[in-house]
Amino acid sequence: MFKNYLKTAWRNLLKNKGYSLINIGGLALGIAVALIIGLWIHDELTYNSYYNNKDRIAQVFQSQTFNGNTGTGPAIPLPLEPALRDGFADNFEHIMMSSWTQQGFLRVGDLNITRTGNYMQRMAPEFLNLEVIKGDRDGLREINSIMLAESTAETLFGNQDPIGKTVRIYNQYDLNVSAVYKDIPFNNSFNDTDYIIPWDHYVNNAEWIQNSKDNWGNNSWQMFVQIADNADMSTVSERIRNVKKDLNEDTAEFNPQLMLLPMDDWYLRSNFEDGKQVGGRIKYVWLFGIIGIFVLLLACINFMNLSTARSEKRAKEVGIRKSIGGQRSQLINQFLSESLLVVVFAFVMAVLIVLLSLDGFNDLARKEIAFPWESPLFWGLALGLIVFTSLLAGSYPALYLSSFRPVDVLKGTFKAGKYSGLPRKILVVLQFTVSVAFIIGTVIVMQQINHAKNRPVGYTMDGLVQIPTFSEDFNDKTELMREQFIGSGAVVEMATSSSPTTRIWSNRSGYTWEGKPDGFQEDFAWTEVSVDYAKTIDLKILEGRDFSRDIASDSMGILINETAVAYMGLENPVGTIIRDSDEEDPGPDMKIIGVVQDMIAQSPYEPVKQGWYVYDRYNNFSYYNLRLNPNQSASQSLATVERIFKDNFPAIPFQYDFVDAEYGEKFASEQRIGTLSGIFTALAILISCLGLFGLTSFVAEQRTKEIGVRKVLGASAFNVWNMLSKDFLKLVAISCFIAVPIAYYVMNGWLQEYPYRVILKWWIFGLAMLGAFGITVLTVSFQALKAARQNPVKSLRTE
Amino acid sequence: MITIQNLKKSFRTEEVETLALNNVNLKVDDGEFVAIMGPSGCGKSTLLNIIGMLDNPTEGSYNFAGNEVSGLKESQRTELRKGNLGFVFQSFNLIDELTVFENVELPLIYLNISKSERKQRVTEVLERMKMAHRANHFPQQLSGGQQQRVAISRAVITKPKLILADEPTGNLDSKNGLEVMNLLTELNQDGTTIVMVTHSDHDSHFAHRVVHLFDGQIVTQNQNRPVGAAI
Repeated sequence: MFKNYLKTAWRNLLKNKGYSLINIGGLALGIAVALIIGLWIHDELTYNSYYNNKDRIAQVFQSQTFNGNTGTGPAIPLPLEPALRDGFADNFEHIMMSSWTQQGFLRVGDLNITRTGNYMQRMAPEFLNLEVIKGDRDGLREINSIMLAESTAETLFGNQDPIGKTVRIYNQYDLNVSAVYKDIPFNNSFNDTDYIIPWDHYVNNAEWIQNSKDNWGNNSWQMFVQIADNADMSTVSERIRNVKKDLNEDTAEFNPQLMLLPMDDWYLRSNFEDGKQVGGRIKYVWLFGIIGIFVLLLACINFMNLSTARSEKRAKEVGIRKSIGGQRSQLINQFLSESLLVVVFAFVMAVLIVLLSLDGFNDLARKEIAFPWESPLFWGLALGLIVFTSLLAGSYPALYLSSFRPVDVLKGTFKAGKYSGLPRKILVVLQFTVSVAFIIGTVIVMQQINHAKNRPVGYTMDGLVQIPTFSEDFNDKTELMREQFIGSGAVVEMATSSSPTTRIWSNRSGYTWEGKPDGFQEDFAWTEVSVDYAKTIDLKILEGRDFSRDIASDSMGILINETAVAYMGLENPVGTIIRDSDEEDPGPDMKIIGVVQDMIAQSPYEPVKQGWYVYDRYNNFSYYNLRLNPNQSASQSLATVERIFKDNFPAIPFQYDFVDAEYGEKFASEQRIGTLSGIFTALAILISCLGLFGLTSFVAEQRTKEIGVRKVLGASAFNVWNMLSKDFLKLVAISCFIAVPIAYYVMNGWLQEYPYRVILKWWIFGLAMLGAFGITVLTVSFQALKAARQNPVKSLRTE
Repeated sequence: MITIQNLKKSFRTEEVETLALNNVNLKVDDGEFVAIMGPSGCGKSTLLNIIGMLDNPTEGSYNFAGNEVSGLKESQRTELRKGNLGFVFQSFNLIDELTVFENVELPLIYLNISKSERKQRVTEVLERMKMAHRANHFPQQLSGGQQQRVAISRAVITKPKLILADEPTGNLDSKNGLEVMNLLTELNQDGTTIVMVTHSDHDSHFAHRVVHLFDGQIVTQNQNRPVGAAI
């Protein structure tokens, strides 16, 4: 029986090639989108699956409240380590201190490279499940050792055995390679850990770290934990909540709250608001999941509509089958089998589409997703998808077509009832509602990105280059380098900074000034800069003056931004003295010498934070900022800069970044989402149009005789076009009225997440509606005009 | 085999109610060949559809081989129809996507008959109808007469007790029409009961009895010859 069903289905597909192509092609596109989104979601949800103890690993997070504003982050102070080891040992299997993942300059012989790595405590190889392929698994035992990822070892040593060989780091310390581990796969935290150096090496060689051993106020490190086998994550998290607050009075006023963020949440749910976890990337998983389901639904609607539109053609067959003994249930099975066949073809085509587009998608989404040929889970889900889609797309046609009464269809009096087209119309309305909503959503996402991109940054990014200077080799050479760079003509100005122009790496509190309200809990973005910083990056001085080489007291000077003026409540900021509020060991007083314009250093969607630019007295800089000479080509200037750099620092790799490119990274996530949703919207519209195209051709075919008669009676091609298009345009109009308020509601909600956001304007909605109408007219017109231009004699003769 | 008593059938649209059959009483015996005649719109096809259980009467009783049919649900009618009834239509009503063989085979599939038996029976019937050489052709590749022979093959494949033919020669030329009538007569002589709607006086002579319908009522019944007698 089943064979008979499939045979009929196959011959039906062959007989109506155009229809089959639209049906299978549309469905294949829909399934391909669903598959790609499915693979993407799987990749997102399986992030960190490399780690065996994923369920018991967590990072310690801390919330602090300054003037009612609660901020949460992974930075913790050093004394927390002994506090947890001593007081809560039973709760943890491991407690591991770690530095931030940072760029390191690695040198072997004459080879200089830059890689990212961490300083970690001895249990790191076990904690991170490292697969040690050479050397000692306990590779962080010796203080002067370094463990290398396989790829880094290969770059540094080629085919030689690296174990026991020396790597020089930051051109300061010689470390012995103790082990080589397999690179941590892309889809995991720590995948950028190209090397690991013992934590003790880090602590022993930095006085400021040693000085922070008892300082609860310096939150500059990370702590990872693995809870004990019998412990419960939320219970342990609750237990350590007030450890810092209880042990340290000085910082208690900021209400420090500790918590464990489980590894499962690092990637998808690491956003906090007012100290509470509020999701994160998971919202994109939901977003794309919904898009995938909708696109698949649109494709299924095509199938339903085209199948039922052809009902009059299939009616005779239904009548015959019923009259010779076919039960309705058998006919339902037959139509479902047809649907299954179409879906199987579409699935095969979809797999081909996915294979062809996966590389492009990976580039776009910054993923390394491979087609899961060998995953039983994938094939299980694929089978589920095929069955689900067959049922979704085939159930309505099956129920509808099998309901025909044989007596009607065999008498030849069968006409689809007055309201038989209604479900079809509702489905078209649903399709276009989704499409119009997608168009509006995409336009608004793009607008918001552009809005933030066009926001004045407060300085000039063009021709601004930054060079990392993470080595003591650079100490006290700033003036010398500046002279050489400027003297070469390649650079017009240079200054150093303790963090990149596009970021804030340090926040400080613990200062006082005249007029500071009692109980005011200050918190400032803190950047240490050299004399010509404002001039180099073209940051406008609004009041007072820039640092000067000629004024010795400027080494105790600071520049503050506009927001800081308002934040500190200063009426005449210039000249204000800033005092360290540490009573036991106060630092020297500082004096505000100028006010600079606000510049965006954090999120372009957030207000600028109150910030201080402090004269760098202690070689705390991490970057050279260079303004390239605008009168010569950037490549020429960079070549000169590189030559000068290598002459002075032969043991340091030369590396640079354009600030505008770094700044562009801030939009990368939104940009990717925007581009992807743009592509999916385009596909959704394409699928809807395919369906509409098919539907119009059937309507035109059904009304061939009517069109012939009308033309004989004098109807023009325009009249016929109008007659056929009008019905569809009405449906699209209804869709617009449904889609606009929904899209407004959803997108308005989305925009609320961004303090700096675009204002929704009516024309966006107008444009989307116009777009939908334009697309409909184009789609419908092709068939309508074809029908309208047919010779009426021909169409009447065929009747 | 068939006993119809006081049968009424009306069609209702929003404004008008049309009485298609009015107080019809008809009895058809086993092995009989009955022709139903009358002008267009007199209710012939409606009566045939009710006899064929494709439609239900509005009022009255219809007993088929001891089963009361009026009031049955569609699925119950389908069940009763299966294997007991064969249809021959004016427009042949073959399924275009199936070959001659598959069209004839279809009723057997619905009766869940095994593949080997299906093959045997279809081959036999097609040979009898002289269509075996066309078994793998599609309906569009055949002449009208050939298509009707296929339709008759399909109607008889289940060895039904009753064949209902709705103007079986209406779309055929006289030569092919005669062939079809001869086939039906042959089947009748083999014991199959036949009820045929026709406009053609010529065709009606093949029947034992001719029932004349006018405005939904039986007006006359003429006996051409006794059941069992040759033409």
